[in-house]
Amino acid sequence: MLDWVIANLPLIVAIALPIAIPLVLFHLLPLLVLMERRGAGVIQDRSGPHRAAVNLQLKSIPGIFNDAVPGLRLRAFGMIYNVTDLVKGLSKEFFIPPFAYPGWYVIAPAIPVMVGVLTPAVIPWFGDMATSVGTIHGTIFPTANGLLLLFALSSLSVYGVVLGAWSSNSKYSLLGGVRSSAMMISYEVSMGLAVLGLLLIYGSFSLQDAVTWQSTHTWGVFVQPIGFLLFLISLFAETCRNPFDVTEGESEIVGGYHTEYNGIRFMLYMTAEYLHIAVGSVLIATLFLGGYQLLPVPGWDTDWLREHLGKVALALSIVTALLLFGFVKLILGRRTHNAAGHATDREVRVREYGIYAAAFSGLAIGTLALGGLAAATLWHNPVPAAGAFWSPVVLTVTALIQFHIIIAKALVFSWLFVWVRWTLPRFRYDQIMDLGWKVLLNVALVNLLITAVVAKLIKEAW
Amino acid sequence: MRTIAPGGDHVDLMTINLGPSHPATHGTLRLFAALDGENVIAAVGEMGYLHRGFEKMIEQGTYQQVLPYTDRLNYCSAMMNNIGFCKSVEKMFGITPPERCIRLRVVLLELSRIIDHLVCICTNLVDLGALTNFWYFFNTREEVYTIWEKLCGARLTNTVTRIGGMYRDAYPGFADDVRRVLGRVEHAVAEVRGLIEHNKIFIDRTKDICPISAEQAVAWGWTGPCLRACGVDRDLRKDEPYYGYEEYQFDTVIGTSGDTFDRMMVRMLEILESVSITRQALDKLKPGPVNTTDARLSLPDRQRVYHDMEALINSFKLIYEGVRPPAGECYDAIEAANGELGFLIVSDGGTNPYRIKVRPPCFTQWAAFPGMMEGAMVPDLAAALGSINIIAGELDR
Repeated sequence: MLDWVIANLPLIVAIALPIAIPLVLFHLLPLLVLMERRGAGVIQDRSGPHRAAVNLQLKSIPGIFNDAVPGLRLRAFGMIYNVTDLVKGLSKEFFIPPFAYPGWYVIAPAIPVMVGVLTPAVIPWFGDMATSVGTIHGTIFPTANGLLLLFALSSLSVYGVVLGAWSSNSKYSLLGGVRSSAMMISYEVSMGLAVLGLLLIYGSFSLQDAVTWQSTHTWGVFVQPIGFLLFLISLFAETCRNPFDVTEGESEIVGGYHTEYNGIRFMLYMTAEYLHIAVGSVLIATLFLGGYQLLPVPGWDTDWLREHLGKVALALSIVTALLLFGFVKLILGRRTHNAAGHATDREVRVREYGIYAAAFSGLAIGTLALGGLAAATLWHNPVPAAGAFWSPVVLTVTALIQFHIIIAKALVFSWLFVWVRWTLPRFRYDQIMDLGWKVLLNVALVNLLITAVVAKLIKEAW
Repeated sequence: MRTIAPGGDHVDLMTINLGPSHPATHGTLRLFAALDGENVIAAVGEMGYLHRGFEKMIEQGTYQQVLPYTDRLNYCSAMMNNIGFCKSVEKMFGITPPERCIRLRVVLLELSRIIDHLVCICTNLVDLGALTNFWYFFNTREEVYTIWEKLCGARLTNTVTRIGGMYRDAYPGFADDVRRVLGRVEHAVAEVRGLIEHNKIFIDRTKDICPISAEQAVAWGWTGPCLRACGVDRDLRKDEPYYGYEEYQFDTVIGTSGDTFDRMMVRMLEILESVSITRQALDKLKPGPVNTTDARLSLPDRQRVYHDMEALINSFKLIYEGVRPPAGECYDAIEAANGELGFLIVSDGGTNPYRIKVRPPCFTQWAAFPGMMEGAMVPDLAAALGSINIIAGELDR
């Protein structure tokens, strides 16, 4: 069985990949929502989500649960809300306002979600694998014009917003739709110009080439710091997040483009927002932070990773385990805090946090064990030749590690999105236009000019 | 909507109802605006959605029975209304409450001013999209409410004063609680100022937004922080001192341009001045009686009621009939959080007020608001409406 799996691993990877990547983004979604809610709680001096819980009545197990403290409650740090939200959204009436244009009204929320699911197709998630069934690309849709395709796709998402706003046939929706169309189109310009300097250096529209260049030289953020900032700001505007969330502008135009939406259609818009955050974070990690490469050291590319797979796996597992143990320490702190408190459900809380601590300790130990296993088996092994028995395993483990690296980088940026949202006030619509056209555009042009001259000079010199 | 511009051109305007149920109108107000894109060309304000017949209702009861109604005027600082009303009635009787009562009232007035300003600023910041500040201020406000709860049992609608005194004396440890909360207030103000004061987005959103000149503000009859933000030095605590405000060291905070930024910052700095006044008042708080001994207002001692016929009659008359101010007309005002809160009381010598007219501070500000809006944009509307602090409870009465 194991032999069969190892022998056919390339085939399995090749088949699973196009399905897995969009699903992975959907799996990131609950994490982002949780991050948003927890992050808001942390920043705003409040507990955050803490009510929705799974209650298990397990009185029947003698010795573990007694009558005084019946059952077990798991709140999973607010993760349960993702389930309850979905259930709520799906169980709402599929209401279409009588004044709306029903066809477009129904279709509109699907468009941004569709875009969000399609865009990961051009992002390289790991280095190419040369296998017995041919090369498996880290990109689902490997193309030389990946970046152009990405920009084209992300421009499409504005259609969902504008269409939804227009078909709602409501004045507030219309205001929100007009704002979003103007804003997205404007910031697309600065976004494109911000990347253009980088493209001059990378010399290709392919995102795969961008990562390859970064692995042989250094990360994009070091050669284009201004471009990085411009891109980041434009990305905030593209995702319509605070301080650019005028399209919703809940204190001004009620709900903006989704004023008239409810239930699961409203949730689709929210889904799209978080998908765009995820995709944007992955994109910025790909373009400016070396993509799936571990560190900004020239030469630490995919081949290097394959050679040192055992060591890298051990190092990463130790870092991950340390982070997890730090988290366990926080959980135990909460447990002590609850044990000293006077809440009526004190015992339940203490037990709950005990289980969290055990679970995450187990996870940390498991990670360490996996790292140790990888180190033990792959420490001294040279990279097996293509077609050799162990070759698919090395390639797949490398791909998995690279995939987790890029996801980790993206999550850091996702946290930045949350942090900024709960810190800054909202711009006014015309001020956003001013910033986009009068500041960002000019800075981007100057940056592009300087980059072009310097890049030319350096290339001549070489 | 096709309209004719002053030049004779036809312009297409979109009319839009902002309110009575709109996130930016904290309360039930309606602003009917004609928009050209996002620019407000013309606006009409409408009030009355929360009209409860306050002034008519209170004619049905005795003077003491008015007090719980006053809580519902500006519910963000209910105690100020209690104190303002009691002060007016006491003026009709020509009495002054005891020293301790006055000091306590000053503490309560200034703490109420603090929480009123906290609520105003933080909801205004929510309108600007800076949601986090809301919790920094509301957590602090909740602590003040905890003091209220210990003091009189209620958090929002306190009814803490009585004509001629207080509901009861402060509880032991009141001064320490207040001092601790004052520290928290200063901390919260420092945190929020750190977040917004030099924030380019905040300044862009508020600077020169919906300004009103000093002349206009005076002409509209503005009072309080909004008037002071225009640069007019007018504060009843300084100009017509009551309750010994002349003994306290504090500054009147004055703005320069009367825009949204100034209105918010005047409130922000007034919080700090109020903290200082509260500390001084706590220092001057000496033990003593809190209720006047005037038999027309104050219930006699219980022991005397049991043994003395005059005291028994006095008690009966006060409880069954109520207080009887002398016939006449009296206007008295205090500097409430939002401006001059005045009560015009007409008495026919009976136990029920013949007429009570409330002069709420936000009424005049709401009257001027639609004019201020013209030429602004829709987002400015939310910012400016929050900064003039309309409380529908006292606007409609």
